[in-house]
Amino acid sequence: MFFTPSGTTPSQTEFGARRGYRRVATAIALAAALTVPTLAASSAQATPIRSAADPADTVLKVATSADIDTLNPFTAILASSTGIMALQYESLTAYSAKDNSIVPGIASKWSTSKDGKTWTFTIPKGRVWSDGKPQTADDVAWTFDAIKKDPQLQQANGGLLESVKDVTAPDKQTVVLTLAAAQASNPGAELPIVPEHIWKDIKDPANFANDKNSVGSGPFTISSYSEGQSVVLKANKRFWRGAPKISGITYVYYKNTDAQVQALKTGEVDIIPANNLVAAQYNSLKGQTGITVNPGVGRRYTSLNMNSGAIDSTGAPLGDGNPVLKDVRVRTAIQEAIDNKTLFSKVLQGLGVQGQTEEPPVYPEYFGIDKKDMIPFDPKAANAQLDKAGYPKGADGIRTDKSGKPISLRLLGRSTDPTHAQMAEYIKPWLKDIGIDVTLTLESSNQVNDDSTLGKYDMYFTGFGIGPDPDFQLSINTCKSRPNADGSGALSESNWCSPEFDKLYKAQHTELDPDKRAALVKQAFGVIYKAAVNDVIWYASPLEAYRSDRFTGFDKQPAKNGVITSQNGYWGYYSATPVGTKSSGSTDASAATSAAFPAWATVLIVVVIVLILGLIVLLVVRRRRVTSDDRE
Amino acid sequence: MTATLDATESLQQITQEESRPRAASWPRYIARKGGGALISLGMVVLLGFFAFRILPGDPAISMTRGRRVSAEQVDQLRKEFGLDQPLIIQFFHFVGGLFRGDLGTSYTFHRPVAELIGSHIGATLLLTGTAAVLSIILGLWLGQRAAWKRGSLFDKTQTGLALIFWSVPTFWLGLILLLLFGGFLQWFPTGGLVTPGSNETGIALVWDVIRHLVLPVVTMVAVVYAQYLMVMRASLLEEMTADYLTTARAKGLKEDLVRRRHAVPNALLPTVTLIFLTLGGLVGGAVTVETVFSWPGLGYLTFQALSAPDLPLLQGTFVVFSSIVIIMNFAADLVYRVLDPRLKAS
Amino acid sequence: MTAVTVRSKRSIAAARRRDRAVEVWREFARNRGGLVGLAILLVVILLAICAPLIAPATLLDVTKVDGLPNQAPTWQYPLGTDPAGRSVLLLLLWGSRISLLVGFSATIVSMVIGTLVGMSAGHFRGVGQAIILRVIDFFLVVPSLVLAIVLSTVLSRGAITIIIAIGLTSWAGTARLVRSQTLTIESRPYIERSWALGAGNAHILGKHVLPAVLPLVLAHTTLTVGSAIIAESTLSFLGLGDPTTVSWGTMLKSALDTGAATAGFWWYVLPPGIAIVLVVLCFTLVGRAFEAVINPTLRGR
Repeated sequence: MFFTPSGTTPSQTEFGARRGYRRVATAIALAAALTVPTLAASSAQATPIRSAADPADTVLKVATSADIDTLNPFTAILASSTGIMALQYESLTAYSAKDNSIVPGIASKWSTSKDGKTWTFTIPKGRVWSDGKPQTADDVAWTFDAIKKDPQLQQANGGLLESVKDVTAPDKQTVVLTLAAAQASNPGAELPIVPEHIWKDIKDPANFANDKNSVGSGPFTISSYSEGQSVVLKANKRFWRGAPKISGITYVYYKNTDAQVQALKTGEVDIIPANNLVAAQYNSLKGQTGITVNPGVGRRYTSLNMNSGAIDSTGAPLGDGNPVLKDVRVRTAIQEAIDNKTLFSKVLQGLGVQGQTEEPPVYPEYFGIDKKDMIPFDPKAANAQLDKAGYPKGADGIRTDKSGKPISLRLLGRSTDPTHAQMAEYIKPWLKDIGIDVTLTLESSNQVNDDSTLGKYDMYFTGFGIGPDPDFQLSINTCKSRPNADGSGALSESNWCSPEFDKLYKAQHTELDPDKRAALVKQAFGVIYKAAVNDVIWYASPLEAYRSDRFTGFDKQPAKNGVITSQNGYWGYYSATPVGTKSSGSTDASAATSAAFPAWATVLIVVVIVLILGLIVLLVVRRRRVTSDDRE
Repeated sequence: MTATLDATESLQQITQEESRPRAASWPRYIARKGGGALISLGMVVLLGFFAFRILPGDPAISMTRGRRVSAEQVDQLRKEFGLDQPLIIQFFHFVGGLFRGDLGTSYTFHRPVAELIGSHIGATLLLTGTAAVLSIILGLWLGQRAAWKRGSLFDKTQTGLALIFWSVPTFWLGLILLLLFGGFLQWFPTGGLVTPGSNETGIALVWDVIRHLVLPVVTMVAVVYAQYLMVMRASLLEEMTADYLTTARAKGLKEDLVRRRHAVPNALLPTVTLIFLTLGGLVGGAVTVETVFSWPGLGYLTFQALSAPDLPLLQGTFVVFSSIVIIMNFAADLVYRVLDPRLKAS
Repeated sequence: MTAVTVRSKRSIAAARRRDRAVEVWREFARNRGGLVGLAILLVVILLAICAPLIAPATLLDVTKVDGLPNQAPTWQYPLGTDPAGRSVLLLLLWGSRISLLVGFSATIVSMVIGTLVGMSAGHFRGVGQAIILRVIDFFLVVPSLVLAIVLSTVLSRGAITIIIAIGLTSWAGTARLVRSQTLTIESRPYIERSWALGAGNAHILGKHVLPAVLPLVLAHTTLTVGSAIIAESTLSFLGLGDPTTVSWGTMLKSALDTGAATAGFWWYVLPPGIAIVLVVLCFTLVGRAFEAVINPTLRGR
């Protein structure tokens, strides 16, 4: 093409050329050589490289895909992080593995005053934190006070303390909680108590990472955290119920569920926790040797929510919902046109329980609605009802609303949840059959939250995980739970209001008799059901799988058919028992990996890359100079 | 994903622009190319900032999702992040932050974006760097051989294979390799950088990383080497029909020597320059490969940022990825200048 | 004496164009790979267009199918069924429509923008040219997948967004090509003569530059369609596509989401990928053959 000559001797040329090619050949040989021993090394080991020195050094490896926002107990709100908090910090009371009933936690006993406003908890002597310092009532009082005083610390659990007026520790073994008003729910449940002697010296508690050698009271404490890769927990030998039987837990990140399944099969991980597997993956793990699957019973409902006329906290209209949904007859007709049974069997493949009210079947005392009140799948009745209500079908089969416009509703779903798109594929033709046109939009979780809070939807898929006490789920359906005009502020489930419901909410909130309260709770959920604002489709089974040839003895919650992970408590991991003496990896987690990619390694790689590229250029320059004389 | 024609065209483009007999001196050349690179960087920053501001949604609300916060607290948060100020001021803050190395704070991780990127970029460089080196070596060697044995079974097979691999979606190939070698045959781990929870150091650690590196690198190399193969082959073919080679052959030089000593070195020039030009494009492929293999690099971070969407993080990875490509292109310009045959050899 | 028929200028030009077309075709046909690719593509496009006739859309309605979910291939369902019980073969057929449509549309967007910008960059001088060059360079430099992700995040998810995203990230290559060709053409004497005769910008660009540039653009574009189809599948895999429409990319995403890969449902995981490889390969072969016709130096490779 376009070269000019320069000179060297032929013998140099030959030598140079041969050497150059040899270099290339060596490089390729090296690359190939690397793969051979790699193959040999890895295929030779079905089990990991190092054997355990001590059979008690067993670490349970949990596959996870959910991101962790923070390991700070005051600001962590994602389920993944709060789950870890539940392993590290106990609350005053706990929920039993047997049936989610309230049992002692940090407090060994408690009593309520006659008027229900004063709760007294007893902290027994002799209990210690994981670093050996004693647990006292001062820790409890400090935790409550810290949250009450600093708004930044209220992010995670501030809502739980709204009803608490005052907390005092008259002595080291007694805590007195004074409430603003009597309530049925135990105020000591669900609030993680932190060690005062650690946290009182921290200058900026809201931003404290809490991810290295944390001190806690639960069966496991955080040893280290490698963001995006792993969280390492070690067993708390000083746990008052007794040390766990495993030496630690490591959460391992896999963004890809298929990779998680492979990892379980190869033994890279020991357990895939709740709500990760989909039906096909779960079914493919059934019957594999060494692996046991546990469907569990879900405490999370999935529903189709309808915008019945969203308003903000001042009463002004919010968003752009289709006014036709303000009519309860239209909402009921829509619910009648959707066959939840088909969705349940086809999309969920039957792995769960069909939906009734928001309360999941795992809490039998609050679950269910009377058969006579249930809305059946009856498209004929739906059509008849819509005809009667004055929404005539047009020539194309689509009904027109009161102003003559054809009824077209928007359906909003999460792009990260494949079941939403799958359900929409069924809902569209069903609603077309009753004369309503549906368009689906999928957005990211945050965008769905934004739009639904601001009322910018007609229908959307939603869901919520419910704890043992239904009070919170009911509270987000009260008339008070409307957001501000900009979407901030209170959390409202359906942006719906009913004075009848509010009365029932107040009643169950203060009803101390458990049976009477259960009846009121069921009634309250029934009111929501009849309003047809939230069509609960199913409660998905959590679908867990674990290596039963490595670990066993997991306590489920509830005991009969519950889950191992994602519990209201720590029983599953706490009771994990290693099988035999096979080690599953490394040991003392206190010496564990720090940030996976240290800065010096990055710099080294950059330097190597620059060197290699420079080498290539030099090679070419030299070659060119050396041969150009022959070109005459 | 540039076609062969595109690649050779871009080279012609470069030579066209430099068609003046004596190109500008080094300082002026660097100033011109460097200035161009800086302008491109500036445009990237502009696009990065404003593109995400188009997105509706209030970041302050995103961050306080699901928590009980009063309107005042949200306002407070807005002030803290400077979101209440006019867009231009926010932009200046952003640019100022860039110079200080501050790319904002991630919504999902609540940590500085710069820190997140810093701790992830090493993994991406390791992956793309290894893939680049291996695909260059493989592509050049096969391409050179195929051109030489032009028309033979070897040539036809290699060209065919290259074209097929070039047509494969990277993530699909990655998934199949994952299932086959990671799951079914269990020769390699199914994801991650190292075996989790392990404490290896030194050689054992290096070995562990290499084991985890194999599948992702093979995936990237398979899709990328084809490009280098085709370019090398095309360059060499063109070179082999040049006049001066006819002279060399007439002088009695053996074919083998003709090829090794003359054709290949001269064909390498445009190829090497092209390699530099396309290296930057490799990083884009990193996103899918890292996602499939849970490789903790920048691509993985981008994918995680996608689902929120975590705007500061997306912005940051966008700027960093683009900057890498701009730098590689600047390097390509310099390399071309170094290899420019019209310069007298010193 | 022989009679001389006087033909109009237009018919002479038309005849010349026809001859040229035949010449192009003959040269193209010499390339076996290109022929095979073209044949397969025509079959695929024909199938895609006739999909509604072969298998009415109601067969894809999930509420009306009766196949069992995730069944292995049988005679009734040659490629098995998907998780909803629909025939994978039918999904593949209908998916080709969207994949090809997105591929073609994105390429057309890219081609139009690229040609216009490229011609302007080659034609105009001064500050305008410098700015346009910078813009072209910018779009060349920004990694296309990352830019596509940014665009898809900012705009609402769906097929249109993907078309825009792919179109916007791939026009720069065409623009560079067109620019260099424009520069070459405009340096020819007959263009100078046109200027001298008072031709305007539109005339020069429209009557002289564009026809000369078009064959090159078409050859380049054929290759771009392949890239666009792969880009569509990648963006769908990352979750940026429209899952309510069936395309090869969304089929793969759905296969991943429903765990078809780990469950070993190869009939759902392999066919869409193989289809993509086949179609992209054909476009590549045709494109290369076309390139060889346009650029004689590339023949015989």
